[in-house]
Amino acid sequence: MATALAASAALAALPLHPHLCRRSAPPRRTIRLSVIASAQAQPDVAPKVVDRFSAFDRVSVLAEALPYLQRFRGKTIVVKYGGAAMKDESLKARVVSDLVLLSCVGINPVLVHGGGPEINIWLNKLGIEAQFKNGLRVTDAATMDVVEMVLGGRVNKSLVSLIQQAGGAAVGLCGKDSDIIRARQMVEKDIGFVGEVTSVNPSLLQTLVADGYIPVVATVASDGNGQGLNVNADTAAGEIAASLRAEKLILMTDVPGVMRDKDDVSTKFASLSIRECKELEDEGIIAGGMIPKVACCIRSLSQGVGATHIIDGRAPHSLLLELTTTDGVGTMITG
Amino acid sequence: TPFKALESLSVDLSGFPACRFFRVEALIRPWRLARVVEQLNASGIRGMTVSDVKGAGVQGGRRERYGGTEFGGSSDRYLVDKTRMDIVIARGQVDSVVRIIAGAAHTGEIGDGKIFVHPVADIVRIRTGETGAMAERMEGGMEDMTGIRG
Repeated sequence: MATALAASAALAALPLHPHLCRRSAPPRRTIRLSVIASAQAQPDVAPKVVDRFSAFDRVSVLAEALPYLQRFRGKTIVVKYGGAAMKDESLKARVVSDLVLLSCVGINPVLVHGGGPEINIWLNKLGIEAQFKNGLRVTDAATMDVVEMVLGGRVNKSLVSLIQQAGGAAVGLCGKDSDIIRARQMVEKDIGFVGEVTSVNPSLLQTLVADGYIPVVATVASDGNGQGLNVNADTAAGEIAASLRAEKLILMTDVPGVMRDKDDVSTKFASLSIRECKELEDEGIIAGGMIPKVACCIRSLSQGVGATHIIDGRAPHSLLLELTTTDGVGTMITG
Repeated sequence: TPFKALESLSVDLSGFPACRFFRVEALIRPWRLARVVEQLNASGIRGMTVSDVKGAGVQGGRRERYGGTEFGGSSDRYLVDKTRMDIVIARGQVDSVVRIIAGAAHTGEIGDGKIFVHPVADIVRIRTGETGAMAERMEGGMEDMTGIRG
């Protein structure tokens, strides 16, 4: 694990060669990833690791990551980004640098994001009262406008610009663009413009990925008649992963993963099968907010996604750790 | 959970009391094939035929999901890609083979597939001209490995 941490740190601290960043038309701007990674990382983590190792150590650890990088090279990895990792600027920068790194080493990340807290802030500013029904947000026409503006405009573009600053090439989209996500209004639930995904058109995403861009997708869907629909970001990420037949779906959450005792990190499951998930659900160990996350994982696994991961978005470099270590940092769910 | 049911599956062959061989036809999700083949191999099932097919299995108003998209609701999205496996085995091995396939193909979501069991009159190995049990038997196969006889 120590080696793995060092590997991730070494990878993250490595200045990226501009020609590796995009396969077509390498950008001429200078790459600032290393600056960002060291300047914004928590003082007790990244700099320490980097200081502790000599240049040779860092290169050796980097070389050790080779088998993992080879295993995922050319593969698509869909990352659902949300929760605390989204609110905290330094976490945000770290997630972004991990994504750019993956993209630079030939892995194809696709970022899918929600943005509940940000939506609340803006609803508040506009004096629109948030309504809930059975724990679900009621999205009326005015709220839907705000959802679309905040997710597609503010949250989406801020992620795009962070990726650009880190030396990646991001394209921000919402589900409406080229009908990436089509949805039908869940009329039966009577909670307004909330949609269930009916189809995903992956062709635009495939085009972008093939050219080395990192697509950043806001989960506002089209209903085919011009009405935008708010869809759950976990579900949307799962369906996008299924449509791209992704190698991995990674859900970044505010918990370390699936745990037997939710207050004890040492009881975290490193990996689970669908069967084990169902059994844990029957036992009441998978409960509450974890149920829809696990259901989303199973739903995409059944459609051919290689593996799904529930990881702690708050942990430093959790993306890299999950991908480049055998134990990982979250819970991997496989078919 | 359906897992226990799958593990203790028992196929009713009583309609064909004299039949020595059966063909197990499984329709499964294509990306589950490798896993099914691996588990069959581990139990000594070495003869099988696989083909790509399309199908539909629409129950009530429920819809299957494939590639991020709902299928079964409208005529333009009706048939879904599936893989068909055909395995001819001796009578005594039918239950084990069906359990292995069902267990390995199961996800619990709509569209996991179906298994049909058909009677087979005889088998011929073309290279040697062997027939019947001699032609069905694979050296180092299920009978040799697990002792489950035909």
